[in-house]
Amino acid sequence: MKAFFTLVFILLSHTTFASEQAEEIFAQLTPSLYQIKLIDKASGEKSSIGSGFQISKDGIIATNYHVISSYARHPEKYRIEYLDHQGNTAEMDLVSVDVINDLALVKRQVDGDMPYFRLSDTKPIKGEKLFALGNPHDLGMIVVPGTYNGLKKESFNERIHFTGSINSGMSGGPVVNKSEQVVGINVATSGNQIGFLVPHEKLVKLFHDYNKEAPEDIKQQMAAQLFSNQNKLMKALLNNTWQSKELAGKAMFPVIEVPFIRCWGDSNADKKDALILAAIANCSLDENTYISSHFFTGSVEIEFRYMQAKNLSDNKFYHLYQKQIARAGSGNRASKNDVSEYQCNNDLITPSSTANTSKSITNKSVFCTRAYKDFPGLFDVLYLGASVDKNQQALVSHFTLAGVSQENAMEFTGKFMEAVSWK
Amino acid sequence: MEIGKEVDMDVMKDAQIGIIETETTMPVENDDLPIEQGEIIIEEITRNHKLLHRHRLNQNNITIGRNYQNDIILTDPHICPQHLSLSYSQDDWRINDNNSVNGTSLENSECKKQDAHQQVLNDGDVIVLGKSQLRILFKNHRVADTIAFSPFESLIDLIRHPVAVFTSIALFILIAANIAYLNQPTETNISQLFVSAFSMSLLFAVWPAGVALVSHLTKHDPRILAQLGISFTFFILMWLSDLLEEIIAFNSASNSVLGLIIALVPIGLAFCLFWLNSYIGFHVSAKRRIVVALSITTLLFGGSYLLQYSKKPEFNPHPQYNATIMAPSYLIAPSNSVDSFIEQSNALFEQANKAAQQD
Repeated sequence: MKAFFTLVFILLSHTTFASEQAEEIFAQLTPSLYQIKLIDKASGEKSSIGSGFQISKDGIIATNYHVISSYARHPEKYRIEYLDHQGNTAEMDLVSVDVINDLALVKRQVDGDMPYFRLSDTKPIKGEKLFALGNPHDLGMIVVPGTYNGLKKESFNERIHFTGSINSGMSGGPVVNKSEQVVGINVATSGNQIGFLVPHEKLVKLFHDYNKEAPEDIKQQMAAQLFSNQNKLMKALLNNTWQSKELAGKAMFPVIEVPFIRCWGDSNADKKDALILAAIANCSLDENTYISSHFFTGSVEIEFRYMQAKNLSDNKFYHLYQKQIARAGSGNRASKNDVSEYQCNNDLITPSSTANTSKSITNKSVFCTRAYKDFPGLFDVLYLGASVDKNQQALVSHFTLAGVSQENAMEFTGKFMEAVSWK
Repeated sequence: MEIGKEVDMDVMKDAQIGIIETETTMPVENDDLPIEQGEIIIEEITRNHKLLHRHRLNQNNITIGRNYQNDIILTDPHICPQHLSLSYSQDDWRINDNNSVNGTSLENSECKKQDAHQQVLNDGDVIVLGKSQLRILFKNHRVADTIAFSPFESLIDLIRHPVAVFTSIALFILIAANIAYLNQPTETNISQLFVSAFSMSLLFAVWPAGVALVSHLTKHDPRILAQLGISFTFFILMWLSDLLEEIIAFNSASNSVLGLIIALVPIGLAFCLFWLNSYIGFHVSAKRRIVVALSITTLLFGGSYLLQYSKKPEFNPHPQYNATIMAPSYLIAPSNSVDSFIEQSNALFEQANKAAQQD
């Protein structure tokens, strides 16, 4: 009984301690916390909200790019406003963005020096207690205690894995350690206490670059960032080993050995009544870049599908097979204002690497591409190869890349086509 | 003087409409006068100038009206009992309107309409009385040249043979069943396939049956077997052209000229079908037949194109590509290298850039 009381006492005191700490942090930092609102000029009402925090005495406020993305895309339609802890509102300017890491800097008018958040010099350690601040669902500023759990595994652009509730509206709010220094920025959640933060180094770099030279044009800045990011991603994909793997013991397909491309498999071997046996291997990049609510880019999808006829005539097998490949779609979302329509061509192709061997494969190959309207030089591409040289077997090789340059797209396509063969 | 004898050459069975065999007993007078005999052919025609009845009269005075004493009795209620008479003298026929209520007018070959009273009749003139029309022809009227049997006749004779009709319908059902079989994603049941193929052939038989019905209604020979035979033969040919189109799409790269040409084949086939339908079913001039066949073809293909066009979304986020694949036995074209494919695909980027700038 005594032990029980002690336990309860310890637990109670612990929570009291944590909440006291949270209260203290909240009280000290609240003057530098803001709600960021995007106001639709025509209707005068807010169209999106998020959180932000001041990082300099002269009024630079950091937030997420996705909070102000509508303004970045259509500055004529919106204005950005802040709401501080005393209920004051005023308009702000967008001064710089990092579209890849989902960060933005906005600037408010200041009369004199103001208090602001310090950016941490060090990374947190795994298990360290952190406090996320923000204004979820427009309910008012809150503080959420949570735990640092290292960087998200297998990510191309780093994210901190934070165990604690991050809700929409808290986007752009800071996450601080016990010494009230910013170690991350709220950016996303995948439910049930799993939150993701942008590491503070990205903000340090963005702020540093801004102080050195402020960007002249936000769209150009975004275009340059998207371009260099796709270069970095595609170089990583093209220069790493392409491991050849077997699919259903009959076909060979490449697996790119980079941690951020993850593969999954499936087959219908359990379905006795299926007319065609199918085995599917599917690899993709688990993240993408948000440009606006209808426009995402930076995704990579690769899929291989092996099919074998079960008691079917060749003609029927090919008829059903054709239906399988008739509707390949893009891997990313984009609207009429963002991209052109797809332009496609097709031909019969036998890769030279497999020619004159028993592995040789002849494909009906389809290649499609569409151009980005606001970011010239970037394209979405789609490739589909369907084998047409075996009566009762088929291999479909397919990939989509979003937001890549022509040069990278074609280098990837060539390498990909040569890497697929029969076993 | 001979007694006028009416000859109904065309539509014997329609005598009840308003004709009496005019074995009129005219009073016989002046037997020994020099004979100056008028001979005239009067055709009752519809407003579309379709022949209803033909009368050949050998007498100098002809009366026309609703009364049963007339030489030509018409039932049109807008015609007077003794509406008009035609009289022959000095090599001329002259019209005499007997103060009819609605009058009589005359249309000559240049389509000029004028009051008919006391007018001299010419070959080919049309008398309009009440709502009826009579065409006047003299015995020296020029008839059109004889139309020789076209080579199609022998083809049609072959196709309309019951065995040929049966074979073409059976072949059609087989093809329809095969297509249904190929498209079925699950296990298939033969009897089910044939029931659907049979109902499909019934559906397709509606067209030749409809054409035959229309030709029957317009007083032509329906020739239903010939219509069925020719239509099903062409339906089969269209399926063959589809197959050919598929083989070409499979074997050729995108934008090949051959693919465009083969797309025109079904249009040509449809035109031929409609032309032959009209050749079998209706007696119209060659020019008119071509115009009719052309307009039905245009309506069909233009209509379906418009329908597709109107359904096309303003912006399509999905790629539109031709991924026709067929079993390796249909593969006849040589395949290309990856490098040539990359080179072709490079041109698409320029196109995409242009498309992005356009709107």
